[in-house]
Amino acid sequence: MTATSKVSIAVPTGALMPGALRLLSRAGLARLSAELLGRQLMVDRSGVRVILVRPADVPAYVDHGAADLGIVGKDILWETPGAHYELVDLRFGGCRMVLAVPEASKLNGPETWPPQLRVATKYPRTAVAWFEARGQAVEVVQLHGSVELAPQVGLVDAIVDLTATGRTLKENRLRIAATLGASTARLIANQASLKTRTERVQAAVGRLREAVEK
Amino acid sequence: MRDAQESVLSEMRRWGYRHVITPMVESTDVLELGIGAEQRRRLFKFADARGEVLALVGERTVPVARLVAGKLRGSALPLRLCYAGPVLSTDEGGFQQRRETYQVGAELVGAPGPVADAEVIALAARCLQASGVQRYQVDVGHAEFFQGIMDAVKLPDEVKAQVRAALAARDFVALEALLDKTPLRSAEHELLLRFPALRGGSEMLETAGGLVRNKRSERALAELAEVQKLLVAHGLGEVVSLDLGAIRDFDYYTGIIFEGYGPEVGRPVAQGGRYDGLLERFGRAAPATGFVVQLDLIWEMLTRAPRPPALPQIDAAVAWTGSGLTTALKLGSTLRLFGMRAVVDTQARDQAQAKAWWQAVGAVNLIHCRSGATVSWTARGGRTKTLPPEQVAGRLAGGLA
Repeated sequence: MTATSKVSIAVPTGALMPGALRLLSRAGLARLSAELLGRQLMVDRSGVRVILVRPADVPAYVDHGAADLGIVGKDILWETPGAHYELVDLRFGGCRMVLAVPEASKLNGPETWPPQLRVATKYPRTAVAWFEARGQAVEVVQLHGSVELAPQVGLVDAIVDLTATGRTLKENRLRIAATLGASTARLIANQASLKTRTERVQAAVGRLREAVEK
Repeated sequence: MRDAQESVLSEMRRWGYRHVITPMVESTDVLELGIGAEQRRRLFKFADARGEVLALVGERTVPVARLVAGKLRGSALPLRLCYAGPVLSTDEGGFQQRRETYQVGAELVGAPGPVADAEVIALAARCLQASGVQRYQVDVGHAEFFQGIMDAVKLPDEVKAQVRAALAARDFVALEALLDKTPLRSAEHELLLRFPALRGGSEMLETAGGLVRNKRSERALAELAEVQKLLVAHGLGEVVSLDLGAIRDFDYYTGIIFEGYGPEVGRPVAQGGRYDGLLERFGRAAPATGFVVQLDLIWEMLTRAPRPPALPQIDAAVAWTGSGLTTALKLGSTLRLFGMRAVVDTQARDQAQAKAWWQAVGAVNLIHCRSGATVSWTARGGRTKTLPPEQVAGRLAGGLA
């Protein structure tokens, strides 16, 4: 748990960062510029401490109690389930986890899938769980970037990836065959923080919830 | 960590709990009588020579239940039992990356009702105190409160199953989406959504009492009120809170449930509750309640505290040279008889070398034995004195008393 009496909030770098900072400001918790936080990584304001971490690391900070609260995309939570509470849909950073295939591919719905599908993804856990639930055997190739390239060079039949506008897919001559799920930014909380620092943490959660619904 | 374990176990013994030792390896048939599918998946399993599938225990309540229904069949209930030992999980837990963790637990078998519930909760609180944790708190809830709500909400069975799954995953966004789809919104819906915030003092009972309209939840609230009163009588009013939104394995727990939290660790360090259904599966139906203390987490808290616990100190370092070895060995035995911790050197050293060795051992006293009737004794921060060995032993024992 954080040694400070302030409520600490983990904010992700990258696409969700501007939205997260706007939300903290609307909730009256902290008014921070991306430039300042990017430089200092940890900024204290009255009553709150904001820390900046990589998106995939937010659940780790919260689960271990290094942060009381965290702002993180649902896509990350699919991939790293943990003991945290998922409290509020923050309604920004919307995107979809999709199964995409080359435009020329014959693959479409489940009935068109081969007995063993080869799929490249940065989200192996999410992909395996989704195919398993549909009784489809799948060979997952885990990549760390440029997943769109994999089907074009014949590495895999399809990819499972995150898309907001679909533009990157189109540019790489891929089309969406199925949607695995819709993702938005979520507010997560450490389980012990909710129990041992109830009032302060619940107050911050309440203000964030109000700011979302405003 | 052993010291923390010993303190917890002696607290349990002070409450009249007998220490039992259960096996590390159990047949999966036995374990599966008591644990859910998820826990089953996490067992380390292997086969013996006859092909029977065995597993390393992942928790010890089920082995204790088997003991009560088996070897202790003749013992009258209620039985107060405690245990300590490692448990294993194939999941490295993500938290400490440990597959093997240490648990100390206590079970009160054969006693129904709030007095027994309060006894076990009070014992858990006192165990945390005894282990040396500086600030701790215990949150008490009731499994039946949740079950009553689930009975009362008007939802199709498959949606109810999804609601349970969302709660088990602590995913309140999914829960809200599920409940939003249903036209009927009752007070019970609101309660489910407010689950993470249903924590507080006795005012929580009134708030919740005003919202639930089902017998099962109302009975649970009445029982909680009684347990809370008893815990105040146990002298624990300050550390106990009510948490109606505690999320636990609701298929297993049948009544009062509780969790202990300490500072600096983002997870509960003790968990327990009433499980009246388990013993029946082993052929000796009996109500039961108990808890485990996660020793690894306690240890982590203690070492991170402002003043971490010191290693037990060694009272005397006994060095020797030449024929002083005989004197040294005798003196070592005498000091140990007096209950002191004494280390006798394994090689001969002169006085100067002995001092360096003494520092390395980190003992309070150095006694250097030579050929001759006297030894030199140096206390930490004191001058060296030359005395007969019996007198040194006498003085050290005197200082101890």
